Amino acid sequence: MYPDDVKYTPQHEWARPHGETVRIGITAYAQEALGDIVYASLPAVGTDVTAGASIGELESTKTWSDVYAPVSGRIVAVNDALDAQPELLNSDPYGDGWIAEVEPAEAGGLDQLLDAEQYRQLVETER
Amino acid sequence: MQCRLSPAEVAGDALASVRMIASAAAAAAGPPLYHSPLYDRHVGLGAKMADFGGWEMPIEYPDGGVLKEHAAVRQAVGIFDVSHLGKGVVRGRGARDFVNATLTNDLARIAPGQAQYTLCCDDATGGVVDDLIAYLRSDDEVFLVPNAANTAGVLRRLTAAAPAGVEVANLHRSLGVLAVQGPRSAEVLERLGLPTGHDYMSFVSSDWGGEQVIVCRSGYTGEHGYELLPHWDSTGRLWDALLAAAAPLGGRPAGLGARDTLRTEMGYPLHGQDLSLDITPVQARSGWAVGWDKPRFWGRDALVAERERGAARLLWGLAALDRGIPRPHMVVTAAAGEQAGEPVGEVTSGTFSPTLRKGIGLALLRRGVEPGAEVRIDVRGRPSTLRVVRPPFVPASTR
Repeated sequence: MYPDDVKYTPQHEWARPHGETVRIGITAYAQEALGDIVYASLPAVGTDVTAGASIGELESTKTWSDVYAPVSGRIVAVNDALDAQPELLNSDPYGDGWIAEVEPAEAGGLDQLLDAEQYRQLVETER
Repeated sequence: MQCRLSPAEVAGDALASVRMIASAAAAAAGPPLYHSPLYDRHVGLGAKMADFGGWEMPIEYPDGGVLKEHAAVRQAVGIFDVSHLGKGVVRGRGARDFVNATLTNDLARIAPGQAQYTLCCDDATGGVVDDLIAYLRSDDEVFLVPNAANTAGVLRRLTAAAPAGVEVANLHRSLGVLAVQGPRSAEVLERLGLPTGHDYMSFVSSDWGGEQVIVCRSGYTGEHGYELLPHWDSTGRLWDALLAAAAPLGGRPAGLGARDTLRTEMGYPLHGQDLSLDITPVQARSGWAVGWDKPRFWGRDALVAERERGAARLLWGLAALDRGIPRPHMVVTAAAGEQAGEPVGEVTSGTFSPTLRKGIGLALLRRGVEPGAEVRIDVRGRPSTLRVVRPPFVPASTR
């Protein structure tokens, strides 16, 4: 539920170092809260993003949610598989359901984020 | 991620699929929520729970989700706990005549042992207090199933109007309601030894292990199905038996999230969204559930007058032509012609159709906006185009 190889935002995104880039997605708690996700609107490759700003939107059968960038930088890859298979966000949020890869604008962005234990405590409070 | 709810969900009649907000809302609302007799079973299954008309009910189950539960009902069978629905009885000499002089549909169209969809309207305005099912038992007994949130209001109006000798009783927590819906629903009931062969919208009283269960051929999904009314205390045992019988047939428990996508595909209105005190049966195109030839029913004068002059707005279906999903309270604008860009109505229900894999909805549209027309909505800054259609979106197979 809270893998410790990723860092977390209070808005329920995760970020994981991936070579020179940072791969990002939404947490298991986020996908459970949304329910079955049917559309993923993702940023275009090359877009500059700012930590905390919306970079896309996920829509489920009954609701929707913005996705916020965990770190600042440039989008260098997006998970095109989500277009045909948005259900990957539900079934494998930390793996095949990743959303995008960001080339960080500066080093150390991940250090600002929550670790697994801090995030777990946040979720327990929200429940 | 920041979950957002549509306005209808904030209003509380909602399929709030977001647990953190649903639980916060529940905590903020004063009175405690009622529990179905299956509450412990739902929690044990790990269901996502939310407030439905004052009842804490399952939205979806952990191994399911709206899409899987929806598909089970369309392709096999789903078992729903809808015990939050109201139950009431009007009985005593002349009960049938009294109900027929108040609710809209004509009980002369059915015989004892049959049920009908009907409306309780405000006498002055013709606005819909509630839509409900009336089960005709005899000239002296009519059983009613209103919506959870409206039960007290409907029964209060009936009680106030009842003539001497006619009694109105609230049985909300005397009976459970389980819906068994889908092409394999009859097989499930057969495995329990329950009757299945009766006509659509008819009901029989049956003995199940020494306990009485009313079995009605009805539902809110568009599939062949049954609604079972067991005593409150035997509802759990019946639920367990139904789930055990359904599992080998590809059946599963289904929550109220799937119930909403299923009914929306049929174009069935939901009170609080597509029907309300501000929406009349004429506007909702529910005139088929009105006994126009009856001398008396609540709202008759207002509704006859509106029908004669023509309703200013009508409830139609919307089918997305792109990736937009209509949501309640979105403004609908004309897509073409002289009025392009002008508001022509408002979305009352909207969702993603799991069967069609696109957005669908119901909307109250200004008279003159007819099926075939293209209209627009604004989906959080993105324009989306939809076609006005006559529901159902998916063919019904109720019979």
